[in-house]
Amino acid sequence: MPSKNQTEIVKRKLSRDQRSKVTAILLLMPAVIFLLGLIAYPLVKVVFDSFSYSHLINKTLSGFAGLNNFKKVVSDEHFTQALINTVVWTVFSVLGEYVLGLGSAVLLNQDIKGRTVFRIFIFIPWLVPIIVAGMTWSWILNPDFGILNNLLVNFHFIKTPINFLGDKNIAMASVIFINIWRSFPYYTISILAALQSIPSDIQEAASIDGAGMFKRFFKITLPQLKSVSLVLVFIHIIWTSINFDFIWILTQGGPNYATETLPLMIYRYSMKLFDVGAASALSTIMIIFMTVLFVFYYKKRSQLSESAM
Amino acid sequence: MLNSKKQTRINHIVTYFSLALFSIYCLFPFVWMVISALKPKAEIRTANPTFYIKNATFENFIKVLFDTGFVGFMKNSLVVSVFSTLISLVIAIFAGYALSRYSRQQYVKVTHIGMLVSQMVPGVLLLVPLYLIMQKFKLLDSYYSLILAYTTFVIPLCTFMMSSFFDTIPYSLEEAAEVDGCGKLKTIFTIIIPVSIPSIISTGLYAFISAWNEFMFGYTFISVDKFKTITPAIMLYRGANITDWGGLMATSVLAVLPVTVIFLFLQKYYMSGLLSGSVKG
Repeated sequence: MPSKNQTEIVKRKLSRDQRSKVTAILLLMPAVIFLLGLIAYPLVKVVFDSFSYSHLINKTLSGFAGLNNFKKVVSDEHFTQALINTVVWTVFSVLGEYVLGLGSAVLLNQDIKGRTVFRIFIFIPWLVPIIVAGMTWSWILNPDFGILNNLLVNFHFIKTPINFLGDKNIAMASVIFINIWRSFPYYTISILAALQSIPSDIQEAASIDGAGMFKRFFKITLPQLKSVSLVLVFIHIIWTSINFDFIWILTQGGPNYATETLPLMIYRYSMKLFDVGAASALSTIMIIFMTVLFVFYYKKRSQLSESAM
Repeated sequence: MLNSKKQTRINHIVTYFSLALFSIYCLFPFVWMVISALKPKAEIRTANPTFYIKNATFENFIKVLFDTGFVGFMKNSLVVSVFSTLISLVIAIFAGYALSRYSRQQYVKVTHIGMLVSQMVPGVLLLVPLYLIMQKFKLLDSYYSLILAYTTFVIPLCTFMMSSFFDTIPYSLEEAAEVDGCGKLKTIFTIIIPVSIPSIISTGLYAFISAWNEFMFGYTFISVDKFKTITPAIMLYRGANITDWGGLMATSVLAVLPVTVIFLFLQKYYMSGLLSGSVKG
């Protein structure tokens, strides 16, 4: 009887499907618990807290605050400055990192001896803790005993030592420079991997057709790097704009708030002023910015992968 | 081949020269760190620092190792990093397997997107609520708070790294075991894990380095020296008035040593694993 046989197959298949469903859920469970408990819930709580009065020490403070927290942080005398600082810090860091990353990746893609050694050298800054990178650089840049000022003065580039991290006009540039030093190796490795997957016969064909080195680079190599560049730049725009450690370690947002970005402002409100409501309002503002960025990125990315197919 | 011989030679020279410049830029701070750590105080606090060390000394290292809480801080870092690495590995292997083998199921798809989004959520925005959660469960000033936080933030990328490797393992390997009546868990442990060792190493390395290098949570969650990890502890060495730069540089050398040594041995695994994860994510 074929019909009975069929139902049996369906039955067995169903139970097999169900079984694999249960297996999948069980396997994902631990990860999901962690992410729900320590990322999703806190995320919701931040948004919720931004509309309520809340204090880290004084637990009696509570209740619905409406938009008061937002008003408070936006009217903070350093808010506009922090916003500008965040944009400057992010744009110039990512720009510098991309240029250096692309340059070093193209160099490492040449067929030369000792490539592996150079690759390891260039990757090392990315490996060390930010605190160590920060401390070492502040020692190098030290106005009294630092080696850089000493070299610059001895070679007559400058007359008197520069207080790289203490001068409010230069501090931001110094911090960005150090951030680029530490972050560009990640670009190098990613772009290098992309370069190595470009088939070399395209290059050879173009070269035979008489395309010069620069023309080949701009017409063939760069377009091939479109998708890896998009991923790199967007991820780093987010990673950089929310970075707290670097600036905190180097300048703590000083001198006179000259390097205070939004994440440092969040820290100031939460851990110094203990104002959870205001800190959450700032976080919420950043979350909104980042959601917009993410949606834009996601659209761009699916566009790219569609056109690639 | 493509260019004339002379041109190739010029190309090589330019390439080597530029790579040398990049290497100096990348390595100079470390060289200077080591030189400073080996200098006696008189050569540190001078307006004319030199690359040459007149009286090389280990006094900075000895002072750091014996007079400060350094050994304790390193131990704390090690405990926190090892445990968060182990936990995130187990979680990432399971989740990565599910992402790879059951990718067509609705739950799995949703979880995948959830992980992509989680990867984008930065720690600093969650600092306040996480602090409050840890405070509520009385986990501040303990290893648990850091282990929980570090594990959570590496789960997405670790999972992607594992699942993109599992994608390359042919399913036929498991079918044989399944016919023999092996349960899923047993299949994972006896068939999948043994062939995934390189990938597990690179994923573990990523988790370990992330935990070892983390600063912000260690700085805010821990206020007592007993549980302080090495990264926030280094901040302590920078005194309010006079910084002991020699000691600070010696501490830095010792703090980067473990990670650097592990990396140099396993760098091949590390880079390829990192890339496969980020391409997928």
